[in-house]
Amino acid sequence: MTTTDRTLAEPAPRDTNVRYNQIGKPLVRTDAPGKVTGRTPYAGDYTMPKMLHAKVVRADLASARLKRIDVTRARALPGVACVLTAADMPDRNIATDIPGQTGRDRLKTDQQVLVRERVRYFGEPLALIAAESRDVAEAAALLVEVELEPIAGVYDPEEALKPGAPIVTAPDNVVATYRIRRGDVEAGFAAADVIVENTYRTQFQEHAFLEPEVGLAWVDENGVVNIRVSTQVIEHFRAVADALGLPHNKVRVLGAMVGGGFGGKEDVTVELYLAILAMHTRRPVRLEYSREDSFVGHGKRHPFKLVYRTGVTRDGRITALDVQALADSGAYVFLSPYVLLYCAVNASGPYRVDNLNVFARAVATNNMFTSAFRGFGGMQACAAYEQQMDEVAGAIGMDRLEFRRRNLLRTGEPMATGFVPPSSIWTEKCADLAWEALGEQTPDDGPVKVGRGIACYQQSYGRLTFLKDTSEAWVGVEIDGTVTVRSGVTDIGAGQASSLAHIAAEILGVTLPNVIVYNSDSQVTPLAGTTTATRALYMTGNAARQAAAALRERLVAVAAEVLGAAPDAIELASNRVAVADDPARGMSFAELVRLCAARGVHRSELAIFRAPFTSPLDPETGQGQAHPDYVYGAHAVEVAVDTETGEVRVLKCIAAHDVGQCINRAAVEGQIEGGTQNGLGYALTEEMLYREGRLVTPSFSEYLMPTAMDMPRVQSIILESRSGIGPFGAKGIGEPALTPVAPAVANAVADAIGARVFEYPITPERVVRAIAGRDRAGAAAGG
Amino acid sequence: MHSDFDLHLAADLDDALASLAPAAGEAGRPAAMALAGGTNLIVDLRGRRARPRRLVGIGRLEGLRWLRVDAGGIAMGARTTVTDLLESPALAAAAPALHGAARVFAGQMVRNAATVGGNIACGSPAADLVPPLMALDAEVVLEGPAGTRRVALADFYTGYKADVRAAGELITEIRCPPRPAGSANLFYKLARRQGDAITVVGVAVALEAAAGRCRAARIALGAVAPVPLRARAAEALLAGATLDAPAIARAAESAAAAASPIDDIRATAGYRREMVAVLTRRLLTRAWQAIG
Amino acid sequence: MSNERRITLEINGAAETTSVPAHRTLLEALRGLGHVDVKCGCEKGDCGACAVLLDGVAVDSCLTLAWQAEGHAITTLAGLGTPERMHPLQQAFADLGAAQCGYCTPGMIIAAESLLRRVPDPSEDEIRVALSGNLCRCTGYTKIFDAVAAAAAVMSGKGDAR
Repeated sequence: MTTTDRTLAEPAPRDTNVRYNQIGKPLVRTDAPGKVTGRTPYAGDYTMPKMLHAKVVRADLASARLKRIDVTRARALPGVACVLTAADMPDRNIATDIPGQTGRDRLKTDQQVLVRERVRYFGEPLALIAAESRDVAEAAALLVEVELEPIAGVYDPEEALKPGAPIVTAPDNVVATYRIRRGDVEAGFAAADVIVENTYRTQFQEHAFLEPEVGLAWVDENGVVNIRVSTQVIEHFRAVADALGLPHNKVRVLGAMVGGGFGGKEDVTVELYLAILAMHTRRPVRLEYSREDSFVGHGKRHPFKLVYRTGVTRDGRITALDVQALADSGAYVFLSPYVLLYCAVNASGPYRVDNLNVFARAVATNNMFTSAFRGFGGMQACAAYEQQMDEVAGAIGMDRLEFRRRNLLRTGEPMATGFVPPSSIWTEKCADLAWEALGEQTPDDGPVKVGRGIACYQQSYGRLTFLKDTSEAWVGVEIDGTVTVRSGVTDIGAGQASSLAHIAAEILGVTLPNVIVYNSDSQVTPLAGTTTATRALYMTGNAARQAAAALRERLVAVAAEVLGAAPDAIELASNRVAVADDPARGMSFAELVRLCAARGVHRSELAIFRAPFTSPLDPETGQGQAHPDYVYGAHAVEVAVDTETGEVRVLKCIAAHDVGQCINRAAVEGQIEGGTQNGLGYALTEEMLYREGRLVTPSFSEYLMPTAMDMPRVQSIILESRSGIGPFGAKGIGEPALTPVAPAVANAVADAIGARVFEYPITPERVVRAIAGRDRAGAAAGG
Repeated sequence: MHSDFDLHLAADLDDALASLAPAAGEAGRPAAMALAGGTNLIVDLRGRRARPRRLVGIGRLEGLRWLRVDAGGIAMGARTTVTDLLESPALAAAAPALHGAARVFAGQMVRNAATVGGNIACGSPAADLVPPLMALDAEVVLEGPAGTRRVALADFYTGYKADVRAAGELITEIRCPPRPAGSANLFYKLARRQGDAITVVGVAVALEAAAGRCRAARIALGAVAPVPLRARAAEALLAGATLDAPAIARAAESAAAAASPIDDIRATAGYRREMVAVLTRRLLTRAWQAIG
Repeated sequence: MSNERRITLEINGAAETTSVPAHRTLLEALRGLGHVDVKCGCEKGDCGACAVLLDGVAVDSCLTLAWQAEGHAITTLAGLGTPERMHPLQQAFADLGAAQCGYCTPGMIIAAESLLRRVPDPSEDEIRVALSGNLCRCTGYTKIFDAVAAAAAVMSGKGDAR
């Protein structure tokens, strides 16, 4: 189902008289044939002659002192090429912060490459092994003698804030703090008829991409360290070079099709270990994480404790909101400050709150470090604020949708940071359509109670604007009429490369199979930035559009001259160029390119797209622009809850999003359906459990994402306001698809059982406890 | 991966039994283990939890792969796969408890490889086929150096991942007695997700009725004790009784009392015990309705 | 270390010989022979990415020892069809957008093929049960269900893949 409701479009869509040949259609992605026939190589599928196999030896305590590490026996094992410890390398660190264009100093909390003295989290690497085979590498790992002396650790952010707590990050474990202040919160609470306060908790979540971290590195004839790796960010070549003390142009990161990322391949993973081993051995080295390695090898989604205090009038107007957010950053900082910032700026969600106070902190512990994950703090905020909206509506006895309607942010209104998003805000339309699409309610069946929930959201697309993000793409035409796109963008499965082909094909009027994309090479393809933050289409899509448009202009000028028509009368479509109202006057696209070649016309273009550049938010008030723009929508679900066992089944799932403009409709639906799976897992089953920092769920039989038997069908309602600042008015859908799912489920469960589980995941046991608590409270009230 | 082992792919049952038999002078060395579907054993080798000196592959023993459902009861070779169970309409009719357990057993590839004998032999308290088979009063046929013997499945386990098998004994057959007219059996697996999940609580019940009374009842519990077990006290409460709601509730509470669950990452002991009562009550009620 | 032995595997219709120790899994052996269309996701039978057909029945190649596969016909995703001549499941997965990152796709299609060889006209519930051992993090499975149903229709002559 699709709605392009122009009556809601304010401001007016940018492209009038829109008539696309390929944009917005459900085309077969360019990467599909290779994938479905097993021809697409992933980073782990490459091998080289004389290749060594690597293994990482890890700490099995979360907080300890490395008293002794003896690798003598491991080194002596036949077939072992090297065993390296911190003693074998200079004391350099892995950047855990965003380097680059900010002009700011990095936080001084980088991670040691290998443990030198202090183990800070379970699984922290102690030694690197390279051997002739995987068997030998594993045997050698068993021969590494490690003596760890336990040190008191801290595993709870609230404990970490207490005086006398073990210090993980000096001086006080606080790694980031943000404040947002608008209006007069005290006055707002004074004006409230009812004040509702609740505490919501979220859990550690694992990305659970199916392809574990993997790569292959070799030092080439120019002394360049080449690293073929599964990553979202080939531009970590700089971080690797810095950690190795090499010039930046002597490290090259080549991507491959990535078997899923979701933020978990956003930080450096195996790249640095590969580079170290390849440089040391001067042989190609392959390192593939086992699934157990992967569980401890990349940062998780931040658990948050979110305290919401809302003041509201009887007629459903929010008069004040106070939010206290506390995030577990784990043992290293990585992207925690930015994740926290996303939480802070989205703390009031898609609602207009004039009196707002947000106080957000990220705190270091000896838990697994936390970092980027699809939704990036914004989804944790949504996981809380949408539950709070239901709780407040319940407290004043108002319909949940009506209460939301009375407070929704409208197009042109300022969000929490005072910034006015430049695009349309269609939250209400999305919510109404999603709710309506639930249809007739499924009846209860004995102890199985049915409930419904909805959640609206606000989620950014594009990186934080003070990061001064840019992206480049190159588009060229060959004299046979085929088109080449070159861009550093990494393709992590959402069709990032295919969408560039789609854009170039549309603008140059060629069919999709005539376009090929070369991507993901840090020294050969123009740097396009990260595939993160719902930015690839927005940033690189805009760059490709600019490049293709510039090229089109040059080609059309020649066509106009040859065909004797005005340039704006020239149409490019279906591999032909012709005069719009006289299609007989035309030629093949290939013929046009040949004519251009004969005239020496420049047949390629390199474009750079710059996102808005801003200063950081005001440190005291949090006012200013944080992101380029925002996406809005709603997710509605119907669940059946077995009130005796606590089992929850999701019966219906409706996702309504204003994506601005679809590039590939099937790909948009795919993002929505996949984001829903991730969100349902977050709501109901997924949880990384740590005991004293030690992971106790290190496999897919213990860490439970929804299977084919668990997932409901997902119905997508795709709205196109064409108001976004991406190509053709597109916004983005990668992260937004996931953001509202979990609170919609939480609200539906609460609706079904008349009690709320304030902590994710909503396990059967927690549901049963919540019902028992409800019954106790009811009995007490009745008695 | 544990790699210090010999692998012998047995040609037939005699070859397998000879290969599994402890050799002279091998006393004290880790035992030989039979490798059937491998869906547990290979995982345990990889995690170095199993470190056998020898593996005896029984994958070529087609004679151990058969399933018979008839007036004589339900019988199957030990190498019958979970998929074989799932794809038998006769089994679905005669033993919905066992068929239902096959449906929620792991994922397709594991079901295609995993065997009934292997699921029994692995000794996991959460082995999904065991409670239904116990409720169906199954016995296990063992063949070994000392010949062939039969052991009731309810008496098979001696402790956590321990059983009555002597060194060199192989499970070759599983047999359930005929199902009398007026009987019903059911299974429910409570887990943290629907597909491919480790059981939090598994309950199987079988009832036999005559003249409006319960003639015999069997209740088997999984994942709530070191071994899958029968709730015999609860069964005794039902035998000879008319199964009204209070009788069923008493039996359900008794079954819960028979459980000795632990806290783990999937659930607390308290929740598991409560759920034994809930599921036992529901299954008994449904089974009784089905008969009546 | 266990003894090495020369074994001959029949992979996608061709016999290939390799020398592997007893503990070598079929997954490792296949990838070692260049059949990298078989993916490694967990090596525990939890994810299904490594599924191959053994005599037409899907198994996790990570839970099968290479020696055990001797004498059986092994089919990997690449053995079902090529970009030029796709198997109906491959065509449907491509046409309907059932592959996103594509890493689960080889095992997913193999599991679906194993189902369709036994149940040519499966219900959605049967598809779900048959694919419950194949984890996917990208698609939410919706388009996968559609693709398997569409392919089943094509294979039984009842419809085309779209």
